Amino acid sequence: MPAEERPFDRIMRMSSARLALFYGALVTVLISILLVSVYLVTRSALEREINAVIRAEAEDLADDMRLGGVDSVAATLRLRKDSWGRTGAVFLLADEHFRPVAGNLSEWPRDVVAMPSSTVEFEIRALERDTDVFHPVAARIERLDNGYWLLVGADTSERNTVLRRFGLATFWGVGLTALCIWLLGAAYARRNARRVREYATTCETIMQGDLTQRLRVDRSHDEFDALANAVNAMLAALERQTTTLRAAFDSIAHDLRTPLYRLRVRLEEAQLRRAPGAEAHRDPEELFGPALEELDRVQRTLATLLAIARAEAQGLTTHGDRVNLAELAANMVELYAPGMRAAGLEVSLQAPEPAPLIGNRQLLAQLITNLLENALKYVPSGGHVWVSVHNIPGAISFTVRDNGPGVAPEDRAAALRPFVRVGDAADRATGSGLGLSLAAAVARLHGAQLTLGDNAPGLIVQCDFPASATP
Amino acid sequence: MHLLLIEDDAEAARFLAKGLRESGYVVDIASDGREGLFRATEGSYDLIVADRQLPHFDGLSIVSMLRRNGKHTPVLILSALGSVDDRIEGLRAGGDDYLTKPFAFGELLARIEALLRRGNVPEVTTRIRIADLELDLLGRKVIRGGKPIDVTSKEFQLLEFLARRAGQVVTRTMLLEAVWDLHFDPQTNVIDVHISRLRAAIDRGFERPLLHTVRGAGYVLRDAG
Repeated sequence: MPAEERPFDRIMRMSSARLALFYGALVTVLISILLVSVYLVTRSALEREINAVIRAEAEDLADDMRLGGVDSVAATLRLRKDSWGRTGAVFLLADEHFRPVAGNLSEWPRDVVAMPSSTVEFEIRALERDTDVFHPVAARIERLDNGYWLLVGADTSERNTVLRRFGLATFWGVGLTALCIWLLGAAYARRNARRVREYATTCETIMQGDLTQRLRVDRSHDEFDALANAVNAMLAALERQTTTLRAAFDSIAHDLRTPLYRLRVRLEEAQLRRAPGAEAHRDPEELFGPALEELDRVQRTLATLLAIARAEAQGLTTHGDRVNLAELAANMVELYAPGMRAAGLEVSLQAPEPAPLIGNRQLLAQLITNLLENALKYVPSGGHVWVSVHNIPGAISFTVRDNGPGVAPEDRAAALRPFVRVGDAADRATGSGLGLSLAAAVARLHGAQLTLGDNAPGLIVQCDFPASATP
Repeated sequence: MHLLLIEDDAEAARFLAKGLRESGYVVDIASDGREGLFRATEGSYDLIVADRQLPHFDGLSIVSMLRRNGKHTPVLILSALGSVDDRIEGLRAGGDDYLTKPFAFGELLARIEALLRRGNVPEVTTRIRIADLELDLLGRKVIRGGKPIDVTSKEFQLLEFLARRAGQVVTRTMLLEAVWDLHFDPQTNVIDVHISRLRAAIDRGFERPLLHTVRGAGYVLRDAG
């Protein structure tokens, strides 16, 4: 257990802070290397240039000496007496005892050891605006004929200033860059850490059961927004499922409780009648028949629920048979036709060509029967039900239409959910309210989407099995 | 007829055995898979009713072991697993019929009857006669009292299924399975409408009805005589 966490440790535990620090260091080092090399290259270039000028000058004067002797050199130097002020050039011709003969230096500079063809650096004192100013000078010493010494140099204070400024610029440049990178990195790390912390807090709230919470999207379209959007989409799906599940549970409780309650009443009634002194025993069938019917109802509801759950959960991998939907529809219409006619409904089938698809025959049969039973339940006597199966290129189109009361547009989505019954309370008594939702689940299992539409008047249930389900 | 009932739920076993005995069967009860397999292998039963979920060996293992040992006693599997796939699995393991719990006792009785009498009417037959009703299986014609009766092909299939089991109770579920290949129960009693149409076709205008409804169970085609 860490006894006390220091703030620095806490910051360094953030991956983005570590990343920022690492990149900051890397960038600082690279920029330093770059600028230092530029500095070194510049300095050596400047030095080479000064040295080249000095050397050329010295050689010129040495030639002068050979051709015209000391007087010629002295004359040349006298002509250039004011060159210090103009170009910062330094000349001195001295005899073998280092006494000045000509040039713009008053004496042979102290501390400068005369070595032929050597380069030296020293400082000279110049009087500028009544103050002594020291100027660094780089110079070349040549030994001329007759023991004369020649010193040719140049003021390097300009060069030194340039290099010093360059050095300062390098130092501050690197420092400021590093500082900026680290500040930005720290700000970025803090921002990331804050968002992650915020997500974590939201997730905790969600885990405590509040599924309406969403992660914040700040419209910056960065990867956090992408993550938040993905998570939010997942949460929306989860919330939808949970709501459906919750509604289903409530309805299951209601739908099972009602027949179970009636069953209980009947059983208790039977018990009472067997008690001594009760009225004469009546036909037991009168008591138990309806009880068994209630039980059948419970059983059918449970079976349908299980079928929905299974259709939702399983893939078609377990049982994909070749099913001719046209033939299956004909078969189911044939099964229901007498019952529908008895209820005063006309039913017609249009399935001109084979409609083969890979699927679960029993579940598809259940889809069709559920739609037919719905029609039987909701279309009033005198109505018409049309069933059609068409093998259109790339898909198999299955529709059940009727001219009954239909489903209001706002109720259509809800009608596909378990236990929702559309229509008035009288209708609600019949059926389990699971028919359409099982049909929708079966359609989904087969890669199709079951949709409800307006047949003007009436309901049209459309289900297009995609080409993928068609062999 | 001697039945073996393999069921680990004592209450259910007692109830089923009582009902079956009242229907005239001799019933032995095995309360777990091991005992069931032992009795099924050693004894000679006319039919075995086996629960699918059992301690030690489940019903499906018992069936496949029996079949591997060359025993062809018909087996009816009872199961709380009712999906189409579960059913196919049960029949593939060698079961002869599959009934999902909970079921009506009449349904079980009808199916036991059907399994036991299977083979009484030879598959290859061209004519079935019940009283004055005659089915021509080749020409797919129905004649009663010498007069031809018009039926649709589905009605003929229904009638043939009932006629092959004349005298036996046939349940709605059995008809749905056999004639329409549906292994689930629709919410409405679609079969009843078909039966009443068939009844109208073959019984109307005749003194003695042949197609009877058995309350709480199903239908039977017989000469009540």
